[in-house]
Amino acid sequence: MPIDFKTTLRTAELACLNLKSGLSPEEAPAALARLTKELTDIINYFNILNEINTSEVEPLYSPLLEVAGLRPDEPERRANPEELLSQAPNRLGSFFVVPKII
Amino acid sequence: MNEIYKLTLTEVVEKLKSRQISATEMISAALARIEVTEPNLKACLTILGDQALSAARKLDQDGPDPTRPLWGVPVTVKDVFCTKGIRTTAASRYLENYIPAYDAQVVIKLRQAGAVIVAKTNLDEFAMGSSTEFSAFGPTRNPWNLTKVPGGSSGGAAASVVAFQTPGALGTDTGGSIRQPATLCGCVGLKPTYGRVSRYGIVAYGSSLDQAGPLARRVRDCASLLSVIAGYDDRDATSSLHQTDDYTTAQPVTLRGFKLGLPQELWNIKLDPDIEDALKNALKILEETGVELRSVNLPHLKYSVAAYYILATAEASTNLARYDGVRYGHRSNNPQDLTELYMASRSEALGPEVRRRILLGTFALSAGYYDTYYKKAAQVRRLIRDDYYQALTDCDLLITPVSSLLAWDFGSFIQDPLTLYQLDLMTLPVNLAGLPALALPVTLGKTSGLPVGLQLIGRPFDEINIISAGLALEELFPPLR
Repeated sequence: MPIDFKTTLRTAELACLNLKSGLSPEEAPAALARLTKELTDIINYFNILNEINTSEVEPLYSPLLEVAGLRPDEPERRANPEELLSQAPNRLGSFFVVPKII
Repeated sequence: MNEIYKLTLTEVVEKLKSRQISATEMISAALARIEVTEPNLKACLTILGDQALSAARKLDQDGPDPTRPLWGVPVTVKDVFCTKGIRTTAASRYLENYIPAYDAQVVIKLRQAGAVIVAKTNLDEFAMGSSTEFSAFGPTRNPWNLTKVPGGSSGGAAASVVAFQTPGALGTDTGGSIRQPATLCGCVGLKPTYGRVSRYGIVAYGSSLDQAGPLARRVRDCASLLSVIAGYDDRDATSSLHQTDDYTTAQPVTLRGFKLGLPQELWNIKLDPDIEDALKNALKILEETGVELRSVNLPHLKYSVAAYYILATAEASTNLARYDGVRYGHRSNNPQDLTELYMASRSEALGPEVRRRILLGTFALSAGYYDTYYKKAAQVRRLIRDDYYQALTDCDLLITPVSSLLAWDFGSFIQDPLTLYQLDLMTLPVNLAGLPALALPVTLGKTSGLPVGLQLIGRPFDEINIISAGLALEELFPPLR
């Protein structure tokens, strides 16, 4: 199936990506067209999978053959909260600061 | 001993143990070699000079420890392994200044074994690519020819090992990212069974596909590194409880009567003439040595690139949703609202290939397309895995090429993502199936002078068999460096 500009932009919105970022208003349409063409080519290629009937096949989401091991259900502190918070670009005490929401 | 940097990992271990060289001498030699080679190679993103030297001095003060198998050995780790207090970039502008608060489990294990990390190596951003050209900090160059790519995404690791910066390195392999650069640069690369090595503290790309593993100039050196990093980790829910072998005890297999399966679908693919010539000759030598070469089939192989790129990008789009400009990493200046903060932070700092893969994965997971693409790809994945299991029932291992191309010129495929994806056909089905595989160099191409390699693929958790066969093949095809 062909991907149109609208689908590209909708997908970008879902992915929280601004496709015009870093581009001038003159550059943006050509970049969007190029990306849409690339996505179309790749997704058309994905459609090769329709050649196979998989109606009776269970999906395999992970190749691991066994059930995951469980660690003891005991609380533990593995990293220092201050060290973890120190990487926040903007913080206030133990809170992350973001633009006003309401 | 002026050229101790050229020693293999096994030789380094011996010389350190017998105190013919000190840890400080060895680490200094590695750092000096890095200094000499880096201007041309650009394999390292962060060099840990002072820290590595101070660790080496401490080791020397305490003296060699027989319980620490890599005591004093210089190694590099790909810059996707979190290192406490040392920046971990994943070759992305987004994480350019990110300093983790913890070590990846394999980093802990390396240090416990006495290894000294001297540098963190370059890669394609978030391990998405096969040439290191998508590194936000510039590409690594191939040590055999600086105008060629080193492969990827662990291109920095492979180039570093081949340029004698260290005798061993750790990389990660999601679709061939250890094996393909190892081959393009001419060293050995081992991708363990999914679950064999902990993924705790590895910057995630495709969580059902990612696996850490070693690169070195000798098979035995890869075995030593694997012995250190393999094993169950209760912090990785996908880590396997399957018993670990002592890979260092592996002995070369007897090649007479050893059964190697040749997947016809992979051997019928058009190869670069240099590769075709070298691999045909290699198969002839194997046959003359008494190896039983058997034709096997992988009927669903042609669907593997499509299935892989749906699943890998879907997992990537989920994993990379965490980069939102709030908790760590890049944050856009002065966003108007929360949505703009997310969008601008991501869009400003994630590179073109990463954004492309996020978009593909988001599309495959979006309403109306989930069953058509994501679920379908997972169903095909089972068929591909079953093909590999079936092919392995009648032979000891499978043998295949690693890459249909030799190391290529920079820029060759940068505008052609689909072709670049299709080049992964030899390696990525192994990740879909979760199997272990070893890439080892065979020779240099006659006209190109560039490395050519072979891949051995085994049953789940049968690394010891792959290593043993690799040791035997290494006697037939001497290492290139």
